[in-house]
Amino acid sequence: MNEPPVLAARGLVREERGRGNAGWTLGPLDLDIAAGECLALVGPNGAGKTTLLRSLAGLRRPSRGDVAHRGRSFEGLSRRDLARRIAYVPQVRPASVPLTVREAVELGRYPHLSRFQLAPSAADHRAVDQALAAAGIEAFADRPLDELSGGERQMAWIAAALAQEAEVLILDEPTTHLDPRHQRDVAGLLHRLHRETGVTVLLATHDLDLAGMLGDRVLALRAGRIFSLGPPREVLAAESLAALFDAPFRAVSEGRAARLSLAP
Amino acid sequence: MRPLRPRSALALLGLVWLAVALGAPLLGSQPIGLSDLLRGDPTALAIFWQLRLPRVLLALLAGGALATAGLGFQTLFRNPLAEPYTLGVAGGAALGAVLALRVSEGLGALGLPLVALASFAGALGATALVAGVAIRRREGETGTLLLAGIGVSLSTSALILFVQYLADATQTFRMVRWMMGGLAVVGYREVLWLLPWTLLGLAALLAARWDLNLLLAGEEIAASRGVDIPRLRLRILIATSLMIGALVAVAGPIGFVGLMVPHALRRLVGHDHLILAPACLLGGGAFLALADLAARTVMAPADLPVGVLTALLGGPFFLVLLAVRRGRG
Repeated sequence: MNEPPVLAARGLVREERGRGNAGWTLGPLDLDIAAGECLALVGPNGAGKTTLLRSLAGLRRPSRGDVAHRGRSFEGLSRRDLARRIAYVPQVRPASVPLTVREAVELGRYPHLSRFQLAPSAADHRAVDQALAAAGIEAFADRPLDELSGGERQMAWIAAALAQEAEVLILDEPTTHLDPRHQRDVAGLLHRLHRETGVTVLLATHDLDLAGMLGDRVLALRAGRIFSLGPPREVLAAESLAALFDAPFRAVSEGRAARLSLAP
Repeated sequence: MRPLRPRSALALLGLVWLAVALGAPLLGSQPIGLSDLLRGDPTALAIFWQLRLPRVLLALLAGGALATAGLGFQTLFRNPLAEPYTLGVAGGAALGAVLALRVSEGLGALGLPLVALASFAGALGATALVAGVAIRRREGETGTLLLAGIGVSLSTSALILFVQYLADATQTFRMVRWMMGGLAVVGYREVLWLLPWTLLGLAALLAARWDLNLLLAGEEIAASRGVDIPRLRLRILIATSLMIGALVAVAGPIGFVGLMVPHALRRLVGHDHLILAPACLLGGGAFLALADLAARTVMAPADLPVGVLTALLGGPFFLVLLAVRRGRG
């Protein structure tokens, strides 16, 4: 890895005001993400996964420290500049969005549109078609989002992020709340995208098998700090997970994440 | 889903607007025939040019401004019940205007500018207060925003009552009458005054149409696509508040147009703000002009303030929306 990292955090600290007076702090942490890498983020609820993702997407300004894209600090980049470099798929979205899939994907072109443009250009339409094809959702491109199942909607929002044509794709719990089949569809899509397009992927998940399957490296976060960072087989081993989640895990077959032990 | 394509629907609205602009001045407590006008009957001409046409034009502008501002607030706050009246913005403007009416007695000709400046200040102040409270406590957006609006409305009405109590009988009567919201004007001064502010508000919404469309998908997605949310908010809130301030200064607070019209028009032209914003300007204008036509004819020769009529329609509409609203907005 002689190339400079795509994303680099240095001494990143983000202080969050929680509900009530209980504030908490992410970091300080240092992190390098290499071009074309897939980094999976795991950790207990409240470990700071979403805050870390938002900070790395430039949606939250660090309280201290710095995040940079290819050596350029986020400080010097506008929201639009950032959106051309990093696409983000949040976990929580409005219950109802009055758009069709295609309209939602088209809005992914926003950072590339000029203020005076009345309609998307031919290049924009091409990018939208490519994103729909890459996500394999052309079939319901013209249906309203509100009529789709949760899994289909998730695919649509991933396609919308792809239309941004950013180098980094960040996803916050992309398979949460989905049934097993749609979990598999979304995982398959991310796997394919990462392998075929070489996009750098960063995702947070509670699905440890997904983390092990997709992640070139896994980052375990606990209480706002890096608990462990390394290849899946180390970070997702039974002893590490037991310490991370304060719960007994037992080892399973090679290459898979250890399982939570149900036996007392 | 949609029977008409958005652009055709917009064109249709344009035709309706034009028909209202040409037809409404002919109707009233005393109908004017086209033939009287063409013959050059002086009474008919005076009624048409000096009384009816300015009033209809003012209604077209005022309704358009109210609907456009309502659209801006609803999209910005992702709240279907937001509009200048429910958010207390009109109340803030009214408080400013009433204070100005109280002190402007000795100022004579300075009347309109002073009332207008005070309305601007009131509208901007109320917007800042409501938006500040709502943005500070992001969770439970919908409820907080409306409650903040109610808080501001209650405070401004109390202050307005207080000012009215201090005023003498003549002033009080003027204030009360003005608070009902009305469009009874003579001549074109008010129309020319309101025109630039309304166009400014529309331009602000049109310039931000992509940003507003993205906000339909939520603030987080909008921000991650590159929308600078705080700056967008500031731009839209200032433009709409100025529009409402300008309007309240001449017509008083007219409620619920900003609530009813955008809702109806979304069903007609869809959610793209490039079409929806001008549709609100046209549709809101036509609606208020027709409401005003009803207000000045149903109880003729009495001239019912149009604000009373829109409030009579709008109150139940608000309750129905509140009752049937799906999801949490």
